Amino acid sequence: MENFVSPGKSQLNGKIDLYQRMIEEIQDYAILLLDTNGIIQNWNRGAEKIQGYQEDDIIGKHFSIFYLQEDIDTHLPQKLMEEAYGSGRVAQEGWRQRNDGTRFWGSITITALHDDDGNVIGFSEVTRDLTDKKLFEDKLRMSEERYHQMVAEVQDYAIILLSATGVIENWNAGAESIKGYKSEDVLGKNFQIFYPQEDRERGLPEILLTEAREKGKAMHEGWRIRKDGSKFWGTIVITALHNKKGDVIGFSKVTRDLTDKKLSEDKLAAYTAELEVQNSELEQFAYVASHDLQEPLRKIQTFAGLIRERFDDKEFVERYFEKLDASAKRMSELIRSLLNYSRLSKERNELMNESVDLNVILKNVKQDFELMIEEKQAVIVSDPLPTIAGHPLQLGQLFSNLVSNALKFSPSEAKVTLRYSKMPKKQIHDAPYQLNEEYYHCITVEDNGIGFEQQYSKLIFSLFQRLHGKQDYAGTGIGLALCKKIAENHNGFITATSEAGKGAKFSVYLPVSLLA
Amino acid sequence: MPSTGMPPTIQCLLIDDDQDDQEIFIMCLESLSDHISCLAKSDGAEAIELFNAHIGYVPDYIFLDVNMPKMNGIECLRLLKNIDRLKSTKIFMYSTISEGDTLSESVKLGAEDFIVKPTKAADLKNRLAAIFKTID
Repeated sequence: MENFVSPGKSQLNGKIDLYQRMIEEIQDYAILLLDTNGIIQNWNRGAEKIQGYQEDDIIGKHFSIFYLQEDIDTHLPQKLMEEAYGSGRVAQEGWRQRNDGTRFWGSITITALHDDDGNVIGFSEVTRDLTDKKLFEDKLRMSEERYHQMVAEVQDYAIILLSATGVIENWNAGAESIKGYKSEDVLGKNFQIFYPQEDRERGLPEILLTEAREKGKAMHEGWRIRKDGSKFWGTIVITALHNKKGDVIGFSKVTRDLTDKKLSEDKLAAYTAELEVQNSELEQFAYVASHDLQEPLRKIQTFAGLIRERFDDKEFVERYFEKLDASAKRMSELIRSLLNYSRLSKERNELMNESVDLNVILKNVKQDFELMIEEKQAVIVSDPLPTIAGHPLQLGQLFSNLVSNALKFSPSEAKVTLRYSKMPKKQIHDAPYQLNEEYYHCITVEDNGIGFEQQYSKLIFSLFQRLHGKQDYAGTGIGLALCKKIAENHNGFITATSEAGKGAKFSVYLPVSLLA
Repeated sequence: MPSTGMPPTIQCLLIDDDQDDQEIFIMCLESLSDHISCLAKSDGAEAIELFNAHIGYVPDYIFLDVNMPKMNGIECLRLLKNIDRLKSTKIFMYSTISEGDTLSESVKLGAEDFIVKPTKAADLKNRLAAIFKTID
């Protein structure tokens, strides 16, 4: 160091000596003194430790001895010196090599040293071995890169990074394949674009973000919308992301497409529900069949017993033979109706796709009831009816039962009116379940007959349910149960509205997708 | 019942929508004694109307069919049991079949017993005779 210390300032000698010792003893930093050509003039213990040279080996060598060949080839040492020369200081990090050829990651600062006139008289080079830090950072970076790559390439999960307000900031391949958007379509947009209209209207996306913000995460399953408008059943987890202060800085949203699972679950549930319905129908069927068939049979036995007891009373015997006959007829009528009804249950799964012109069906029904229409001086008027895909025999039975009911429960000069309209599901308020189809054919059959009290509007569709005494109106109590089943077989339903004495109106709703 | 010197008349009400069953029931009842009178109504609603219209009418026995249009027998029984003056009236269910739920429901609501409509008129006669004998 004597080249750089003015020997004339003797009072400082003690301090300078101490200072020099300090430099020499520092172990964690290599501190080198270079002359203006880059030749090593001095060297401390740290340098010895970091770079692995003995003082004697290194003094007088050019500092580029520590640099890798490729850095020497690109003139890195000279460039650094030139920059330190011009700017006073230069800092750089890079691989260097030790005496034994091993490498270390050095953080280097070269500082120009000036004389009193400002002329550069040499350089100090301070080097720190940051190999461990460098290796750790490299490992971390690689791990982060691998992680990002993994997220980016995961196909089965849509992994999306959202801002604190729900704006999409990042998007992986899974998101692209599940939701159908390219990342440029969605980056910068709010994630609520994936939600169906009704969920957006009830604020579901915001509700989920709030929940994630408050509880750390939010989970949900529901229908979501792809770019092409198709739906998929998504199961999602939104997790809040926090900074060190604990503020929410965004959300991760992981979505899985479980449409297939959902559809098979729904199918299973529908199948189970249908089995339950069929089971309960079967129970009802067994009950009513045993009750209603038992009744005429019991009467036949009773009448036969009474006839035997009073066989000599001719008038009595005549009268009870007639009753016996009537009971036997009723029994056979019931059996025929029951067979008809059970056949309908069997036909439930048959293809309902024949093209059926309902105008033709109505025309045939009018012909069948010609006599009754004449007797009752009835008028049947109808709107033009549609042609639908269905089961012609069943639809014939449906119209036949509705028209005959209207005639039966109407006085003379009966007026039966059939109206047709295509109705959006939003306008249908008396459906027995949530409607899946957008539009329904609505065919109403209205009469001016005795009607019924509205409280019986559901009961009348039950098997063997009668609202009027047998002596007043003939029938088995199966007709409307049959109509209900036929409508259901066509994925539709039937409703009834009335007021006692003011006529009845039956409305049959069949999905428009049945259009032939 | 007040004593008139004559054997007291037993008043019955039959509620059944089946005309044939009404006829056979009344035939059997009348064959038991001259002192039994029976009124018949065709459904529960008609019977309730009768009690509302004639507030002095208190039959000794009511025979009630289960399966009837409009108001069924169980519903009718519930309403009859709410009429204070019918507290001492014995109500019997009278139906083609006795099914577990209906049977227990009617007993719960306070019916005396369940009579299954028999296939022989003589059986019905015997059953009715037993009822009047036991209760009297």
